[in-house]
Amino acid sequence: MAAVLSRELAMTALLLAGVTFVAFLILFLAPGDPFAALLGGRTLAGAERDAAYAALGIPRTWYGQYFAWIGNVVQGEFGISLRTGQPVARELATSGVRTLFLTLGSLAVTLAVAVPIGAYAAVRPASGRAWALTMSAYVVSALPTFWLGYIAIYVFTRQLGLFPILSGTGEAQEHAWLYAALPVVLLGLGSGALSEVVRYVREEVSRVLAEEYVRTARAKGASLWRHVYKEGLLLPIAEIVASKMPFVLSGAIIVEQVFNWPGLGRLAWQAAQDRDYPVIMAITLAAAVVVRLGSFLHRTVYVAVNPRASHE
Amino acid sequence: MSAQPLLRIESLRTYFYSRVKEAFIRSVDGVDLEVARGETLGIVGESGSGKSVAMLSVMGLVTAAPGIITGRVTFHDDSPRELLAGLDRLVTVERRDGRIVSVAKDDRAWAAQAERNLRGVRGGKIAMIFQNPRAALNPFETVGEQIAEAIRLHTGLKHPAQAKERALHWLEQVRIDSPRLRYANHPYGLSGGMCQRAMVAMALAAEPRMLIADEPTTGLDATIQARIVDLLADLKARLGMTMVLISHDIGVVGRLSDRVAVMYGGRVMESGPASEVLGGKGDGHPYTRALLASMPRAENVQGKGRLPAIEGEVLDTINTPKGCRFLARCQRIHDGVRARCAEAEPELAEVAPGRRVRCWLYQS
Amino acid sequence: MPNVYVQTVDEVSEYSQLSAWRSAGRIDRLYVGYGATVAGIVVLSYLLGALKWLPHDPDAMDLGAMMAGPLTGSYLLGTDFLGRDLLTRLILGIQAYFLPGLAAISIALALGSLLGVAAGYRGGRTDAAVTYFTNLIDALPRLVLMLLVIAAFKPQIYTIMVVLGITTAPTIATMVKGKILMLKQRNFIESAVALGLSPPTIIFKHILWHNCRALLLIQATIGMAEAVLIETSLSYLGFGVQEPTPSWGNMIQAGANYLLQGNLWSSTAPALAILLTVLGFHLLGDGLNNIFEGKRQR
Repeated sequence: MAAVLSRELAMTALLLAGVTFVAFLILFLAPGDPFAALLGGRTLAGAERDAAYAALGIPRTWYGQYFAWIGNVVQGEFGISLRTGQPVARELATSGVRTLFLTLGSLAVTLAVAVPIGAYAAVRPASGRAWALTMSAYVVSALPTFWLGYIAIYVFTRQLGLFPILSGTGEAQEHAWLYAALPVVLLGLGSGALSEVVRYVREEVSRVLAEEYVRTARAKGASLWRHVYKEGLLLPIAEIVASKMPFVLSGAIIVEQVFNWPGLGRLAWQAAQDRDYPVIMAITLAAAVVVRLGSFLHRTVYVAVNPRASHE
Repeated sequence: MSAQPLLRIESLRTYFYSRVKEAFIRSVDGVDLEVARGETLGIVGESGSGKSVAMLSVMGLVTAAPGIITGRVTFHDDSPRELLAGLDRLVTVERRDGRIVSVAKDDRAWAAQAERNLRGVRGGKIAMIFQNPRAALNPFETVGEQIAEAIRLHTGLKHPAQAKERALHWLEQVRIDSPRLRYANHPYGLSGGMCQRAMVAMALAAEPRMLIADEPTTGLDATIQARIVDLLADLKARLGMTMVLISHDIGVVGRLSDRVAVMYGGRVMESGPASEVLGGKGDGHPYTRALLASMPRAENVQGKGRLPAIEGEVLDTINTPKGCRFLARCQRIHDGVRARCAEAEPELAEVAPGRRVRCWLYQS
Repeated sequence: MPNVYVQTVDEVSEYSQLSAWRSAGRIDRLYVGYGATVAGIVVLSYLLGALKWLPHDPDAMDLGAMMAGPLTGSYLLGTDFLGRDLLTRLILGIQAYFLPGLAAISIALALGSLLGVAAGYRGGRTDAAVTYFTNLIDALPRLVLMLLVIAAFKPQIYTIMVVLGITTAPTIATMVKGKILMLKQRNFIESAVALGLSPPTIIFKHILWHNCRALLLIQATIGMAEAVLIETSLSYLGFGVQEPTPSWGNMIQAGANYLLQGNLWSSTAPALAILLTVLGFHLLGDGLNNIFEGKRQR
């Protein structure tokens, strides 16, 4: 088991290296000079510019710049935000925690809603109730998340007379949990992953129920779920968490915009507007790390549950 | 003096519906069978004859629609139990010219009723083992754990340590090598033969009244097949098991069975003592005779130079014919009976004590 | 509630088999019917927009009829906060995603098939390289990558769609590779090679056309749904088409403040448009999938 997991870790490291390279490449291919802002508004060219950069400690060649950046990243140094002048790492950390909360919470919501629906649809394929539930999931997934968010805010502030949404600060404590819950639930339902998870769970549970060893369990008079849960529930859930993580992170960008949630998503949006390269690069990297973490978790669960996997 | 049979099946019909062809697949089309206590009934027939589906129907393991539509299955446990009770209430069948053309069945309610009927019977009173043993065992659990589960479910031994001891005992009974080691193995680590032994152990560990073995040797290597057959014979002798053995391999059936039923096209064509039915004396159903002649044995080949195959194709269970089902392939037909064979299907009539044949050659 | 099974004919021919459509369930036919209708409307609307055959001028502001509801005068779906006809703007909104969406789909299918064939057909190191590449693309959340691209280059819709195409390719590559492995297991490819067929023939005609066309078609429908969602999301964020050019996304954004004050319609109309369109393409894919695979017993 340890061998498989350490191989997985090595793969993850290689992939993250690839991500940094792709991100840097995009940046490098961009029109304009990424470091122009550091010149403080002066427009220099040629030798003058090279001298100024040399004075600032920026390597001349592209690979020099890349390795310098990587070197910094590995040490936790993500540079300075071009917009605020503050170190990126600090902002990344504080915003990151808030987005992580949003992400993990919404994944839990998605699972809590989609897994029962999918399982029910698999066990009772022709029932009208299963169809209605599945279709509801499809409809909710097809609605634009931002519109849903505004409707939710409208309902909660106008119709239910609660305080207007404050951005995660400590005020209005007695309703604070609600303000945190709303974007989480919304992202959980609206990230577009809902319908896919329902579909996936339905397929997997159907498939497992048709397996020969499940027939043996029935013939034995054993509890069906006790034999089905590993391949029908645990593995699919691990797979879902790993594969839907990118969707949820993308959805977080939208939801944070709607609710003015001060997380990485809103930070990324701001950085894209301002062409704040250090920030957007750092966020890209952070996102990739979270996604790979999800994959690693999935692999761990797979190896733990599947007796054959440890020997592959 | 005839004692009550342990299991009696009457008029069992299990149909499947093909949406693509808009027609019924009449997999089991009116089957009557009996299994007496302590005897082994062998069911033999080609693929598609309905032998497996018939037993799966008894166990309530048929999931495709519409499934069982008529029939009565009585299991004479300490008291008689109707395993298909409540069936007539939930199924309406429409016939035309004696053939079923429409079925209205409340699948959901029927499945619920079947579950109620079979609770406690499945696994505990009637156990079943299947073809392809490695796929039939749970790949995520150890072999021993799966046997122990059967013990905990159906015997009085609830304590894990006790169940484990008993499971090891059964692993020894099936003569698996290194029982303690195999207990902790997962199915992927066992060969096909060992998996089948483990499945037999799992089935018998629940101490059932009857064992149904559905093609237990098919798919295994020839030498392993022989060993499994030996195992079953040994267990039969030592434990006095009641068993239903399904196989298309006549040799296997002949070695283990006391009585044999031959199925074709979803119906029983012949039944009787194994020695008589498989004796090849030429006084049985033409299909049985052809089956025996097509077995690769010395007496079938010597002097002829080639092995006689049964002409024609296996019966299409969608278009079941009006008359005798075997008509198209029958070698023993002659002009005297031809008209009758085409016109009507014969009954399963007794031609000798305990021996019944469905053929106009033996009926007037 | 009993299920009824009827055999209508006495003799069923061995070869008779209802077409996939006829033996399909009512639900799947409904899905495909609805989805095809939606697709038709989208194409039609695109043409109307391209030819400028619109009920009203999209920029014409009728200050006397602002935030009007549906069926107000000549405004079939009402007007927005500037008195502009909603129906016209909704039709025009399709321009924002239709062609770019097709571009994204083409890139995804082409790149995905290429990678899938390379990985499946050649195997070995090519497979490992393709797997690394697809895992790499998968590791980046789509919108994050797009924001990076937007930060680097200008927010150009076709650039975005190229990114969408590239990020969708891994799914297709995995599916195509899976198909090829299945065909290999059935000795399909071995037989084709033994028959002397040339690799391009095997790949294009036999693998892709005969065996993969169903899944590629279905991925195309899903891809169009994705294109709608991505384009509208980016327009909402301010990175897509800019005012006054209408996009369903920026229409919702513009109407957001009014929504919070109780004027729901000017934001809800484009939201419903998104819903009906995305649902249409998803259901089309779902229905086609079930029909092609002969699933679903209803």
